[in-house]
Amino acid sequence: MGDDSSASYIHMVHHLIEECIIFNMSKEECMEALSKHANIKPVITSTVWKELEKENKEFFEAYEKRREEKAVQEGDKSTGSKT
Amino acid sequence: MLAVSPLRNTAAAKDESQEQMESYSSIFNGEFPDFSDGNLLESIDFDDLFVSIDDEQVLPNLEMDPEILAEFSVSGSGGEESDVNTSVSNEKVEDNIHDRKDEEDRFSGSGLDSKILSERDESVVVNPVLPDKYGEKGRKSSAHAKNNSNQGRKKVKVDWTPELHRRFVQAVEQLGVDKAVPSRILELMGIDCLTRHNIASHLQKYRSHRKHLQAREAEAANWSQRRQMYGAAAAGGGGKRDISAWHALTMGFPPITRPMHHHFRPLHVWGHPSMDQSHMWPKHLAHSPSPPRPLPPPPTWHPPPPPPPDPSYWHHHPHVRVPNGITPGTPCFPQPLATRFPAPPVPGIPPYAMYKVDPGIGLQTAGHPGHSPLVDFQPSKESVDAVIGDVLSKPWLPLPLGLKAPATDSVLVELQKQGVPKIPPSFA
Repeated sequence: MGDDSSASYIHMVHHLIEECIIFNMSKEECMEALSKHANIKPVITSTVWKELEKENKEFFEAYEKRREEKAVQEGDKSTGSKT
Repeated sequence: MLAVSPLRNTAAAKDESQEQMESYSSIFNGEFPDFSDGNLLESIDFDDLFVSIDDEQVLPNLEMDPEILAEFSVSGSGGEESDVNTSVSNEKVEDNIHDRKDEEDRFSGSGLDSKILSERDESVVVNPVLPDKYGEKGRKSSAHAKNNSNQGRKKVKVDWTPELHRRFVQAVEQLGVDKAVPSRILELMGIDCLTRHNIASHLQKYRSHRKHLQAREAEAANWSQRRQMYGAAAAGGGGKRDISAWHALTMGFPPITRPMHHHFRPLHVWGHPSMDQSHMWPKHLAHSPSPPRPLPPPPTWHPPPPPPPDPSYWHHHPHVRVPNGITPGTPCFPQPLATRFPAPPVPGIPPYAMYKVDPGIGLQTAGHPGHSPLVDFQPSKESVDAVIGDVLSKPWLPLPLGLKAPATDSVLVELQKQGVPKIPPSFA
């Protein structure tokens, strides 16, 4: 029983993290967003994120790379927090 | 088409050519080329070819590639036709023309290159813009008045190459667009084959085009504002998954941003059809709705979890705006948007608007006005909020990216290491 809800919860966090990735967020930004909007403890977000990273290494590597490039591109324009 | 067309190739077909040349003697004014050394090309004075053709009637005012024209002019020059046959640069042509001045009226026994001829065949009807452009003043010897627009006899079309136009723009900007006077521009450009008249008409076009561009930029600003309003009204778009995908597409689709910068650079390559960017936009727009990434459905479809024992689990986030207020009739926003984009009167605008406003489009829940500035391509809080709310309220929805899920156990173990004994954490 507890497993089910845990699994569901993890799945939900996973889903939310994917959405954050669509927003091109960093892990930290994601933690903040989920904590703020979904009341998910940052540690949980961070853990699930890391686990996802382990399972999807290539994706996350590419993702990071893209983010870096974008950050460089938009470095002078960006006014918000874009880590 | 000029009658000369059948003129064929070189030394081998000289006799044939000779015959044909003979038949065109009227055109050549009775002057005969001597085809002995196979350089017919040099000897042909194209002026004379045109002589019998009535200025006004036969030759329409066509704009011509300088390259093709150059091949015409080259005909009189000495021995360079081999280069000219393929790609003629303006500079070469100028040289050739100057050379030609010496041999204008003479057929000095050169062979005519078939290639030149065949091209001449197609384009022969063009009016001799060339001489005017390249400062060929020496054609006076022929009765061909139209060559000398310098003398103001006939308006000859100038081919505004990118290079030429660039110099023009430079000169104009130096003087100041409003103060740019054709005569001054002419001086600054320093190309003596342009007349003040050419400059004047080009300037007129340039100015009107600039106004047009400025109007479009103003439109862009309006559009982006309107998009924000629409975003608020759309209110989450009925909760369709497409929203986040749509959003994702535009947000995570880098190529969209670049053409937009390019588009708003003023008049960089105005006038050249290949660079007409208003044609580009619809393509981009047409592409953007179609997912560059594999979209949700099957791969990671998780069967809907059994109803959680704790119903409040899904609804215990009071501050999360769950778009329950959206009636089923709410149109799915992205679709109408998608079809709208190609349509607006100013085709260049929508991608710009998308760029600016997109994070807020269709992702805002009812009752939440889309007032976020959205200057940069950043997710607005509202849109993040909306998306998160969506996920929370509809756990059965497929994962947008379909990443491989970690094993529950390993996550739990990790969490316990971090001091989180169980999830979902029990707080109210």
